[in-house]
Amino acid sequence: MRVAVCRPQVPFARGGVEIFTDRLVEELRARDHDVDLVTVPFKWYPGTRVLTQAFLWRLLDLDEADGRPIDVVVATKFPSYLVRHRDKRVWLVHQFRQAYELDGTPLGQFGDSTEERALRRKVQGLDRVALGEATRLFATSRNVADRLDASTGLTAEVLPHPPQELDYRCEGYESFVLSVGRLDRTKRVDLLIDAAGLDSSLEVVIAGEGPDRERLQALARQRGLDGRVRFAGRVSDGELADLYGRCLGVFYAPVDEDFGMVPFEAFLSEKPVLTTTDAGGPLEVVAHGRTGVVVAPDAEALARATAWLREHREEAAQLGRAGKAVATEVTWDRAIDRLLA
Amino acid sequence: MPPEQSGVADYSALLVPALTARTDLVVARRGSRKPPRGTDVALYHVGNNPDAHGWIVDALRRMPGVVVLHDFVLHHLVAGMTVGRRDGHGYLDAMEREHGVVGRLLAHGVLDKRIPPLWESRPEDFPLAGFVLEHATGLIVHSRTVHDRARTAGFGGPIRVIPHPAWPVPEIPPEQAAPGPVIGCFGVVNSSKRIPELLRAFARVREASPDATLLLVGPTSPGFDLERRLQRLGLGDDGIVREGWVDERRLWALMAGVDVCVNLRQPTMGETSGSVVRALTLGRPLVVSDVGWFSELPAEVALKVPVDDREVETLAAALELLVSQPGVRAEMGAAGAALARREHDLGRVADLYVAALEEAAGGRAVGDAVVRDVSRAAADVEIAADTPEAREIARRLAEIELGR
Repeated sequence: MRVAVCRPQVPFARGGVEIFTDRLVEELRARDHDVDLVTVPFKWYPGTRVLTQAFLWRLLDLDEADGRPIDVVVATKFPSYLVRHRDKRVWLVHQFRQAYELDGTPLGQFGDSTEERALRRKVQGLDRVALGEATRLFATSRNVADRLDASTGLTAEVLPHPPQELDYRCEGYESFVLSVGRLDRTKRVDLLIDAAGLDSSLEVVIAGEGPDRERLQALARQRGLDGRVRFAGRVSDGELADLYGRCLGVFYAPVDEDFGMVPFEAFLSEKPVLTTTDAGGPLEVVAHGRTGVVVAPDAEALARATAWLREHREEAAQLGRAGKAVATEVTWDRAIDRLLA
Repeated sequence: MPPEQSGVADYSALLVPALTARTDLVVARRGSRKPPRGTDVALYHVGNNPDAHGWIVDALRRMPGVVVLHDFVLHHLVAGMTVGRRDGHGYLDAMEREHGVVGRLLAHGVLDKRIPPLWESRPEDFPLAGFVLEHATGLIVHSRTVHDRARTAGFGGPIRVIPHPAWPVPEIPPEQAAPGPVIGCFGVVNSSKRIPELLRAFARVREASPDATLLLVGPTSPGFDLERRLQRLGLGDDGIVREGWVDERRLWALMAGVDVCVNLRQPTMGETSGSVVRALTLGRPLVVSDVGWFSELPAEVALKVPVDDREVETLAAALELLVSQPGVRAEMGAAGAALARREHDLGRVADLYVAALEEAAGGRAVGDAVVRDVSRAAADVEIAADTPEAREIARRLAEIELGR
């Protein structure tokens, strides 16, 4: 089958969607499909740029390439699903969240003027039309599917996918808690730094880059945490697997996250996940006392949880092993069978 | 708004508090000529009753805005606003604008009393919706049917399909009209509600299920001889329970006490039915005519009866099935209640209204900005207006509703 996988590209940024789509292409190729990745740069500001940049996808002609038909397109994230195709399958990672649940929060984008309110509605309108055209509609998590249903009335099948391929292993449970992910405010890494300020034995390693790094580093300095909070920056696959393999547990508590691959990566390394009651998607696999620790979204509760893990390493290992059983159920074979059925 | 007695007034009374909680809303008083100064967007509720909605359409014609189209067939409204105001020329013009010379000639026939008034005899053939559509900047409709008819009529602006909201169910004990299975029909008793066909079908049901009862609730239209029809079909006092106009609380109690709700009609003016929404909310299985909005109800909540030569037979079979199968009734009722919660939830409906109003208030400016940006980019690479490339761009913009 000839398949075009579509994803928007924010130049110089790389995150979960990029990892997921790159891997999807590889996995499809491994199953003898003729596959290519189609990307278009995306910038969502200022003003109506979110619409005009999204519109670029609509002008693409992916019916065929070089005289040969493309059988299926697989779109993943706003605005790539604006693409036209007779067999458009959407594997939704997320919509443009600023137009939905982040609106009216500090993470929102649209103001109160009549134009900005209408602009937000236009983004929602694009979703209704473009996602409504899909021949099959999947969501990477129940959280994403529920948001889609609430915002557009469209029903998506939940289709999770495995995390990136790393040399996952467990080498023990050292003293540090690991945070993995892009450093922006939605990931709420400041919660972990604040917890380290309250728990003087807590050591933290933060892997990842992003626009919030300077603020977070300043916060760590301000809390006097030099030496206990290490910013590792963007790490190689080998380093990441090593950090996962050695850490005590993995912190992952974004605000109402779509899903996130970090919990699965932690589980494959037999590590429990520390998250919060408002984290959204991660709660689909992180169950308190079964595969991790779920606490209220405040630093004190998190500090108590990290201390408990440190003092109960055998229990931490049990939680991690239970998580591994969950993560190994999700395979590319199953996902691709359903995607292309 | 109440105290006016109409479905649209009930609808507005239900919706206004939910909208007020979400947006800065001012309700225009009856007879208002224009919205208050500083209004971002005006919303006009339009139905087919000239007494209730004539002043609203007058205001719309002074200041265009978003129209909630409660009926698609507006002939009665237009006649009231033209002929009813001694403006025969206005009626002639409206008929000609939408139905050409033939329309004008027919309108002359009506004014000269040579043919019966079309708003009574054939309104569905001459809906005259253009009288309102030409002043609407956007539409809110309750069904795909009306959406499609508005598009066919040439309306090019934004249209939102927003379900009829459900009322909160009052805590009233059900009132059982009779001991056996009860089929309830709520609304005006007349031919367009297919009461003659319902009575004939019910007579057949009684042959198989003598303990079944038909409850008719609502005033009888003038000229509709219900008693004579009942006598002719041999439907005596023990098979029929008749209630005239009842207040809201009694309506809920009676509806909660029936086993099946029937809601038939032909012709349809494109309207939704508040009774059907109430029945869904109460989890009552439905039998409806397979027309207009009623056709759009999911099969698991309503048995749909085509309006054709076999209407009575099909209707009787549907009623017999539901009267004799409590399990089917329960399953359909549960599906109806779930549909009401999912689609007709008042909060959800109000959210959809706010989305439509926000888009209407600023959408034009946003659309202009997008088109300006795209046009500029096209001009930069020497794509001139009115070339195939420019037309393709315009078509793609329109596909995703980004054009003006």
